[in-house]
This record gives sequence, C-alpha cells and structure tokens, in this order.
Amino acid sequence: MELDAFRKGLDDWLDQNEAVLSPDHDPPGTLDQQMGQLAKVKRLGYDAGWMRWGWPEHAGGLGGSTILRAYLGEALTARGLVEPGVYSMTEVLAPTVISFARPELTAEVLPHLLRGEEMWCQGFSEPGTGSNLSSLSCRATRTEAGWTVNGQKVWTSYAQYAKRCVLLTRTGTQESAHKGITALLIDMDTPGITIRPLETMHGAEEFSEVFYDDVVVPFDRTLGEVDQGWTVAMDLLPYERSTSLWHKCAHLQRRLSDLLRAVEPHALQAAEVGEVVQLLYAFRARSRSTQHRMANGDSLGAETSIDKVLVASAEQAVFDLVAAGLPHQLVAADEPAGARWRTEFLYSRAATIYGGTAEIQRNIIARRLLDLGDDR
Amino acid sequence: MIDRAELDLFRNSLRQAVERYSGLELDAALAAAGWADALEADPPAAAAVLFPLLGSANATCRALEQVFTAAAGIKPPASSIVVMPPLGNWSPPASEIDGRLSVRGVGRPGPGGSQALVVTAGGQARLVDAGDIRIRQIHGIDPSFGLAEIEGENLAFEPAGPARWDDGVTLAQIALGHELAGSARKMLDLARDHALERIQFGRPIASFQAVRHRLAETLVSIESAEAMLDAAGGEPHAELASMAKALAGRAAKTAGRHCQQVLAGIGFTAEHPFHRYFRRTLLLDQLLGSTRTLTEDLGRSVLSARRLAQLLPL
Repeated sequence: MELDAFRKGLDDWLDQNEAVLSPDHDPPGTLDQQMGQLAKVKRLGYDAGWMRWGWPEHAGGLGGSTILRAYLGEALTARGLVEPGVYSMTEVLAPTVISFARPELTAEVLPHLLRGEEMWCQGFSEPGTGSNLSSLSCRATRTEAGWTVNGQKVWTSYAQYAKRCVLLTRTGTQESAHKGITALLIDMDTPGITIRPLETMHGAEEFSEVFYDDVVVPFDRTLGEVDQGWTVAMDLLPYERSTSLWHKCAHLQRRLSDLLRAVEPHALQAAEVGEVVQLLYAFRARSRSTQHRMANGDSLGAETSIDKVLVASAEQAVFDLVAAGLPHQLVAADEPAGARWRTEFLYSRAATIYGGTAEIQRNIIARRLLDLGDDR
Repeated sequence: MIDRAELDLFRNSLRQAVERYSGLELDAALAAAGWADALEADPPAAAAVLFPLLGSANATCRALEQVFTAAAGIKPPASSIVVMPPLGNWSPPASEIDGRLSVRGVGRPGPGGSQALVVTAGGQARLVDAGDIRIRQIHGIDPSFGLAEIEGENLAFEPAGPARWDDGVTLAQIALGHELAGSARKMLDLARDHALERIQFGRPIASFQAVRHRLAETLVSIESAEAMLDAAGGEPHAELASMAKALAGRAAKTAGRHCQQVLAGIGFTAEHPFHRYFRRTLLLDQLLGSTRTLTEDLGRSVLSARRLAQLLPL
C-alpha cells in the first residue's frame, strides 16, 4: 500500500465512521476514559486493517512502510480520536520487541497490542536511576523456574493498565554498568508485582511505582541476549523520539488552532504567535524527514535527540502562548474547556523532563553529534 | 532534477571555487563550474548547494541576484544592479506613477554596470539608468558584502518584461537562509575547535557542561532551520520560505551568541575570523525580511486567519 492510497482510504474510513469512532466524553477525559477510547479506536482500526499496515506480517501486521503508521497516528490525533500520550506506547515499544523477541513471542503478543486488547508499559527508570540509566539495580537472578526479579521501578507510565512490560534488569554486577543489563518482556499479572499509581500535578495517575518481589519470568521472555539489554534500550530510545513525536506535533497543531479561535482579538502579540508557529513547523519539518528516514530503513540514533529537544520546546511554547492568551481559562475557569487548557498547560511542563531530560538530550548531542569528547 | 551523484560532483567543484575566490573572481569560477546551468535546471537544488558554501567561506558573489532573477523570470543585462527592497523589507522596491518610477532599496553595484533593474509593485521589471539614481555605498557592519543604498524619483525607464516577484523572493529567501545556516555552522565549527583545544583547570573546556550545552543548543537551532530550508526547497512556497529564512536568522543569532561566548577573548579579536561571520549574519538577516519582521508578519496573518495553514504533509 502506498501512502497516497492509504491516506485517501483512511480519511474516507474516518469520515464514514466518525460517529462510532468519536469519544463519548469531553476531551481529554479521565485516564480510564482515554484507555477505553484508545482500545475502541485500535480495535476498529485493526479490524478494518488500518492499524495493521506498516507492521510486519509475523507480528499481525499487513506489511508496508512505517510511513503508513506515521500517517495513521497523525490522522487519529489531528481528529481528536486518540490522545497522543496513550497512543504513543505502541510506537515506542513494539518496534524493539519485534526486533528482539523470539518470533513465536512476537506472533503471540503483538496482535493483542495492535488490536487494543492490551496496553504495554516500559520499566526503565528506578528511584536511584533516572538520567543515569546504566546504574539500574532491579535484579534478575537465574533460578530453576526462570528469572527471578526483585527491585523497584518508578515513573512507569500506564502501569496499572498494562498487560505487559519491557523491563530492564540487572543481571551482572552493579559495577558492570551497561554491560550487565538484560531486557525482559514480562506479564504484569505475574504474582509478586505491586503497582502504586502516583498522582501527577496535572491530576492524572499517569505513572506508577512498581515493586517486584520474587517475580518469576520464563527465560524465553528474554529480549535479545543476556547481559545485552543495553543494546535493546538503545534500540528503543530513538523510537521514543520519532513516530510518537510526529503524532504529538499533530496534537500541538490542533491545539494551537483551537487557541487561535478561542483568544480575544489583541490578547496576543503578533511576534510571539509568529515565533511559536515557526517553532512548531520547524519541528514538523524535522520530524517529517525523520519519518521518511525511518521508512527508508535508516537506523535512527542520537540525531533523534534533536527532534526531542525541538518537540519539547515547541510544546512548552504552545502552552506558554495559551497561558498568555487565555489567562482566565488557565487560572479560574472550571468548565471542561478551561480545565482542559489548564491540564494540558500543566502537563506541558513535563515535556523537558520525561523520556530523557532536556539536559540529557543536550549531553547526547554534545557527545555523539558534536563529538566533544568526554565530559569529565 | 539533478541526481545525487551529479550533485556531489557539483558541490565539490563549487566548494573549491568558493574556498579559493570571492567577488568577481568567484563569479567567473562559478560560471566555469556550471553554476548557471544548474540554476536553470533545478533552482532550489542549485541554491541549496551553493549558499551553505558561501556562508561557510564568508565569500561574496552575484549568485543571490542570479537566483532572484532566475526565479522571477527576468533576464537582466549582465552587470546591471539588481535592486532589492530596503533592509528588513520584502516588497518590490519600485512604484510607477504616470510613466515615471520611484525607487528605494539596496543593491550591489559592480564594475561596468550602467543600468539598475527594479521590479514595481505591479510586477513589472524595469531598467533605469544608473546615472539617474543616488547610490550610497554602505560600509556599515559588513563592508565586504558590497551593498549600497539606492534611491531615485521621477525616473525614466525601459520595460524589461513581467516579473514573478513572489517567486523571486521565495527562492532568494531560501538561498539567504542557506547562507545564514552555513555561516552559523562555521561559527559552531570555530567554537567547537576552540573548545577542544583550549585547556583550563587541566581539561579542555569542551568537557564542561555549560560549554557543551551552548554548542548543543546551537546545533539544535541550526538543524531546525535546515529542516525547514530543505522542506521549503522541496516545495517552494512563500510561507515556508519566509519561515525558513526567519528560523535561519534566529539560528545565526543563537550561534553568534553562544559561539562568541565559547570563543571568549580570542573570538573578540579582529585577528580571529569569528567576527567576519558574525557581521555577515547580521547583514544577511536584514535582506528580504528579517527574523523580526517576518515573524511579526506571520503572527499577524495567523491571528487574522484564526487558524494554521496545513503545510508539510507527510
């Protein structure tokens, strides 16, 4: 399937099925509502084929270029059918699982994810391991029954909804750093897992602390080689900064257009509006070329840190403009539209923190793209 | 269209010319390297090859005028002064009343130029006698660019055909954006080399995060402008081109600020090349709309439309 045919077919399908696809709540809705909406859209999309294009056939897909997935998420986001945050997990986790899981495991689990029957989560960060990922200490020990996992993760987005988790564990000595990490795909209903959701400042239980106490994981759930989990993590991180960011861009364009319709004349200065529009379109141009590079089979790497810096800056700039143009909505309004602006403004403050802080992205750019040598 | 292998060969021969020559000698070297043919075959691709090199080498030549006239569909006599709008502005520099012209703008007079080419607000190219206009050579921030202020009233003219002003501005803004980005990259290279060589507290200053982040910020800014420049060149479009030029001007400003700070004392001397690039970007930013004027204009149009244009489809 070529992009133009896909675009035309998908747009027609979305037009024809607007009533059944649309959320039955005011956007953005509670996280429960968002998850329900996501599951519905993915199921309908999968059954109609759209959700399967761009994924390999052995993973339940129909094959074709990854550019089709980029357009699907853009169309769903631009029409307000899915929230980009919950939708992004598929784009972030599935490509790496497909590359590193046994083919039988991929064939078993991927269709459930694509059809919206399952949510997945990503167990990387720990209380003592934020920016310094290679210091993680959640341990997996070889036992007769399989890996036995003990430790704690934190900031695990959507853990309470997740059926499975891509988990990084320590299998070497603590000193082995990035050389002693193993990645596992675990089932979140395994005994010994305790999930404690954390409420964010924008009022959602978006992420959780997750405790692992003697959690037994079969050896055949290992992703890639034992002690080579760093390779898996490094494969996954660029996906955090590629297709999902393209979808975020569609959301930001939609919300900036909403803002332009909502503001009183003269509430905003032309120069500040113009600069935000430029930032957003510069990010769009950058991300578009990333989508095409990915579709051409180029491997994505450190250069995606530039995409990440740009989208985080653009997101905060859009919502700073919201704060400037709709101060009453931000501070005092309690009806759904006002609450939504406030929620999204507050959420935008995290854009330079999650998925690798703005500082970590700049460290990567300095080390890998500018080749500035060691930082000590 | 030019294919990739041809493009690489072309880039190499232009690089040699640009690194060796400037001014009239560079015009001759570019002609010998096939610049005019490339510009005719694929104007955006040709501009995207030459202008980053010009920015990087701090070289001058008449390519900007050539790009503008080619895209506007004008064939001016060789060595005529092509009049551009006043600094910060991108509207046609001439107006016609009762068969006479008024002109206000900037241009680069060369030897032997006896005529000036202007475009009117009505989209007509006109030739006026260089002896009838006032030409004040600008020394200013960057004397080596060769720019002059040009003014004249009640001028007689010869018609030189219709001009597609907006198309000319679009491609010239993309070209200027590439030159700004090329200059910004050169400033970044100078600062990077210095940061790796300069030892303080027993280590290269490139090892300090404050320095690394300034340079990282500069690269982000340049690459975001380049992404828009590439997009604007792929589908020449007025709104994309003006955004690309504004972003490139802002990237050059970011590069100037951070690279100057990293270069510190040596970068503040006249013997270090930094200041030549810094000066050039301040001037280039003002040609055919500045970051400031283009950004305000975009903001006004978006605020009055109350929506974003749907640009850059996958």
